[in-house]
Amino acid sequence: MREFPLQAAPVWVDVPLISNQEVYMNIALIKKYHDNMPRQEAWRLAVDCLGKIGLEHIAYKRNPVLTSEERFGVMLLRAAMVRAAMILIVKPFELIPHLNDIQMVTSMLKTIDELYVSCHIYDYQWMQEKYGDL
Amino acid sequence: MKTFWERLGHAAIRMLEDSADTIVFAGRVFVRIFQRKTYSSAMREVLVNQIYFTSVQILPVFIIVSVFFGSLLIGIVFTILKDLGLTEFIGHVLMGLIVTELSPFLTVLLITLRSASAINTEMAVMKVNREMKTLETFRIDIIDYLLAPRVLNGIISIVLLSSLFSIVLLISGILFAKLIFGMNQDVYMNMLLDSTRFSDIIIMFFKCAIYGFFITLIPIRFGLRASHELTSIPVAVSRGMVNVFAAILIIEVLSLLTKLY
Repeated sequence: MREFPLQAAPVWVDVPLISNQEVYMNIALIKKYHDNMPRQEAWRLAVDCLGKIGLEHIAYKRNPVLTSEERFGVMLLRAAMVRAAMILIVKPFELIPHLNDIQMVTSMLKTIDELYVSCHIYDYQWMQEKYGDL
Repeated sequence: MKTFWERLGHAAIRMLEDSADTIVFAGRVFVRIFQRKTYSSAMREVLVNQIYFTSVQILPVFIIVSVFFGSLLIGIVFTILKDLGLTEFIGHVLMGLIVTELSPFLTVLLITLRSASAINTEMAVMKVNREMKTLETFRIDIIDYLLAPRVLNGIISIVLLSSLFSIVLLISGILFAKLIFGMNQDVYMNMLLDSTRFSDIIIMFFKCAIYGFFITLIPIRFGLRASHELTSIPVAVSRGMVNVFAAILIIEVLSLLTKLY
């Protein structure tokens, strides 16, 4: 994060969603603030991106009612909104505790691969078996 | 063990440091309000939402309170003026006391009760939920995104609502002038216009702007002082609100002193 401070985009339990904003607004916020993207355009982009990972139905929900997978998806899209995003997923199994392997995360990343430059996943050594061949 | 005077001295020093911090913080926010880069699309959206929550949602209740309270106030003031034989001072009392002093004061009390407390709680909850850290992590400036729109909304809302309060009062004055003094509408309007000084109006707007600035800035500041524990929310809110009311009184006293000299 120190090396690429403008591109670093964390997906981490310590960087939660803004609770008084709907999902689409959380995602759109990055574009509206950094790129000064007009509100409607940023909202449309957010809803389109949610559609890509099959989560458009949660666009108007707020953080407390989301499932772990939904919350992870939203945090991932929010991170991908950073310009030339270098996504850093920190301890994904802390975000989705009941997940048995990394399959769901990698497939989500593949679906939105045009939205980011690179992605790094950080976790404890003892979680290695959950990552398989990755 | 500390003596009473040592404790008092420490408390006084803490209070002075606290006030100095608040003034420095106010200065930083004030400067940002005039910087073009503050007005991103995200900030403008927050500003519009805040104005809607503070000035538009409150309108029905605010108008009802203005009509009832304003009529009562005008009725009492006019009756006293009639009893004292000071009918010719109606205009001066209306403009000098009610429009420039009471309207901003009552408006700011209403908005403090409704919006300042909400802002204070919102900030404290965001701090407890670590949402401030989220904003920092994504390089979203807290002053630009959270503070500037709320403070600007405070200024705009107090100026507009106070003007509305004054208008409602002056309109109800027409009715009471007719009922109590048998005064014609044109005579009433002429008396008002004769007593209106441009400087009074400017002072009123200026005072409203200062009220608006501080009744939003102080709750934000105290909300941001919450720790990461839920129990710090009520502490932050109660401290913030006490300080807001202290600030309202200080501004009122300063404005009266300005009028005297």
